[in-house]
Amino acid sequence: MKKVAAGFFAGSIVLVIGALVYLNLGLLDVRSDAPVPDTTARLLYSGIHASVRRSAPKAQNPLPRNDETLIAGGRLYLNDCVGCHGEPGKPPSDFGATFYPPAPQFPRARTKYSEAEVFWVAKHGVRRTGMAAQGSTYSDLQLWSLATFIGHLPNLPPLVLEGIQQHPAK
Amino acid sequence: MKNFVLGFTVAILILPIGCLAYFAIGFSQTRADTKPSALETSILQSAVRASVRRAAASVPNPPPANDDDLVAGGKLYVAGCQGCHGKLGQSYREDHELFPPAPQLPHTGTQYSEPELYWIVKHGIRMTGMSAYGPFYSEKELWSLAAFLRRINNLSPGMIENIRPNKSG
Repeated sequence: MKKVAAGFFAGSIVLVIGALVYLNLGLLDVRSDAPVPDTTARLLYSGIHASVRRSAPKAQNPLPRNDETLIAGGRLYLNDCVGCHGEPGKPPSDFGATFYPPAPQFPRARTKYSEAEVFWVAKHGVRRTGMAAQGSTYSDLQLWSLATFIGHLPNLPPLVLEGIQQHPAK
Repeated sequence: MKNFVLGFTVAILILPIGCLAYFAIGFSQTRADTKPSALETSILQSAVRASVRRAAASVPNPPPANDDDLVAGGKLYVAGCQGCHGKLGQSYREDHELFPPAPQLPHTGTQYSEPELYWIVKHGIRMTGMSAYGPFYSEKELWSLAAFLRRINNLSPGMIENIRPNKSG
């Protein structure tokens, strides 16, 4: 039994040292302009989603799900998010594609995150990605309107689309 | 000996599986509005440095930059980089929004050489907010930006004036 423990200890040390040596030799590729391998993507995205699910508020969206909320959120989205996440009705963002992992294109692919999870991600950002925390820029209510809007992409009521485009972001 | 090998193998298998389980269950923290630990920062920063050094080793040295190149690079910085990396001539403001935080280059300067800076701007740094600018800048622009970044914490007031002619800090 003692020998098993010694072996376990040695194995652990070898793994940690091996990882550090690998990193310090510069063998880890750090460039952003390469596609994320499928397995890596699956692990990353499910890890992030699991963590967000755990941390996101249990509170329900305090805003009514009406056109007004969607338009408020949509203007905010046009103001600050389209650069990376893409604009409704336009081709996907070239800039968002240059991050590793790339920025999800909400106008094309419905998010798997609930509104509360989108709210939490927008407020606090996502570590080790290009997603910056917006909590010091926007109020909670603004972020809830944004989460409502993103939750409704890519199928916006035509009235909402018009409302956003008629009053473009300042 | 057999027992030692058994323990060794179990460790090699269990630790990676444990790590994966830790992430899959959602125990890892994802919020970006906190500070990375000193240990994490030192391990990952040196990994990035080592990797960039290796990758940029084949990048040829740039043609020597003149003042016009530096001004051109500075203008690119003002237009495309300062939002995350800090404005020229402004007091230090720590980044609490990205994780890892974007280095505030006008204050910290950089340890990277010009070929390494060229490489970083062109290809980006994975799993940070640093995206790849290769598709958006010409080679000449990338080199002028690299030359500027190399000297960013060491610019003469006249140079800053030339870069931002209408603003006085």
